[in-house]
Amino acid sequence: MGLFEARGLSVAYGAADDPGAAPMRLDAVSFSLERGRIYDLTGPSGAGKSMLIRACAQMMAVEGGCLLLDGVASGAMAVQEWRRRVCLVPQHASLVAGTVRDNLLLPWTLKVNRSRPLPTDGELRALLDAALLDVSLDRDGAKLSGGQAARVALLRVFATKPEVLLLDEVDAALDDASAQAVGALTAEVVGQEATCLRIRHRSPDGRAFGTFHLEGGCLSYAEGGRGRMPEAVPASEGPVAASPNSGLGRSPAASPGSGLDGSPAASSTRAPERPSASAPTEGGES
Amino acid sequence: MEGGVIDIGTVELFAASGLMLVAGIVSWRLSLGQERDIAIATVRAFVQLLAMGFLLVYLFRYQSWWLVLAVLLAMALCATQIAVSRVKQKVGGLHLPIFASLLSSSMVIAFVVVEGVIQPDPWYSARQLVPIAGMALGNTMSATAVAIDRLFADLDSRADEMFALIALGATPREAAFPSIKAAVGAGILPTLATMGAAGIVQIPGMMSGQILAGADPVVAAKYQIVVLLMMSAATTLAIVLICFLTFRRRFSKEGYYLDAGIR
Repeated sequence: MGLFEARGLSVAYGAADDPGAAPMRLDAVSFSLERGRIYDLTGPSGAGKSMLIRACAQMMAVEGGCLLLDGVASGAMAVQEWRRRVCLVPQHASLVAGTVRDNLLLPWTLKVNRSRPLPTDGELRALLDAALLDVSLDRDGAKLSGGQAARVALLRVFATKPEVLLLDEVDAALDDASAQAVGALTAEVVGQEATCLRIRHRSPDGRAFGTFHLEGGCLSYAEGGRGRMPEAVPASEGPVAASPNSGLGRSPAASPGSGLDGSPAASSTRAPERPSASAPTEGGES
Repeated sequence: MEGGVIDIGTVELFAASGLMLVAGIVSWRLSLGQERDIAIATVRAFVQLLAMGFLLVYLFRYQSWWLVLAVLLAMALCATQIAVSRVKQKVGGLHLPIFASLLSSSMVIAFVVVEGVIQPDPWYSARQLVPIAGMALGNTMSATAVAIDRLFADLDSRADEMFALIALGATPREAAFPSIKAAVGAGILPTLATMGAAGIVQIPGMMSGQILAGADPVVAAKYQIVVLLMMSAATTLAIVLICFLTFRRRFSKEGYYLDAGIR
């Protein structure tokens, strides 16, 4: 079973009060993301890729279907807790007023992270270095370039170590070297325990285990990066599940059949226990 | 008490409406097309103020606690309607929150001032309660409309930032808080500015009225000080209330922001 699953997800957007815009809809989309793997989501502009990951983060109205994180249905936990664990990084980076440090620590100003330890300056510095971001932590966030701001917005999510990363073209504003560095860092953050779905328009970087393609409301899946064979799947050294139960377009019947009633609803808010064989991701960034 | 008041004769009163000819002639010469509005505004001011005058005469003579409270309630209802009509942002269902915040701010503060500072006998004395509550209502009414406009404009301008915050697990309140702060700050400013200019640039309306009515200027000044302090408290309370009562209208029940694209 995947770490993150969407079953029969139906979403409609932009139809109701704007007759000029063509309504966009996804019907009964199912897919699953395995631990320790990175997936790409491709498709033409306007196909609904951003909409799909918004729906996964419970940030848009959904007509039907269900979302599961490690077998636990989304309804079993507070929506803020869900978004902390299934974290979306939007396409348009937007920083709050303050320094780079203020922005990286922004998640810790929220109630949902109150009981979690604050990262040290050393850890934040290591994150910046890994993303080839050569700016001081005391730099005013408003003075950063577009590409620098995009990386700060991404790193502040990485610092919270969510289990599922939903990245919406976060490397679009970056030069090739930075995009490579961000790709490597993504793989490091995902490690053995997390998973990541990336919307990308750049050419494949070989880090994707599989690629979803969204077109005409249909989600298809192919193993490996599109166009080029992945020469190194970073997750390969860890213990991984046998096969990816991955998305199969409009047929909800094709999604894995395990019932959600088996999942313990009470254990909603804490992270599930992890297989003892694998090393924790936490050490990754430093 | 009103021994020093010089009454205005009926003829003189209607002759004074000739002053509106100034505005009328300007409108006519510059083709502003506002002659009709000027006439309506003049008639409304005449009718509404005279009606209020007669009502107060009646109220002072036959006052009972429930009659006074009914008048105050009616004033709050009218203030609600005017405040709602002044909001330019598209926000639905504002009547109830505006009414609640106007009532609980102006009325509470006005009662505190009248009962705690002025201490009339009987406690429901319309001569003190109606004008004091009216002044508090008038100020909070304008401030509320401004605060709502400011709040929702600021939320829209922060849509991207709030999207990122909510994606990180922020509650609607956490995401909206900077906008609430901005709206409250902007709403408090005009009252503070009035207080700063009072007595130097202008004699505020209430003090002028009392002086014209023959009151001791020092007594009038003391009343005016209390009224200014009251207005500052009432507007602050009203703005804070209305912001917290309404900001959620731009958030879905799942707690994400309804930006212009998906509203």
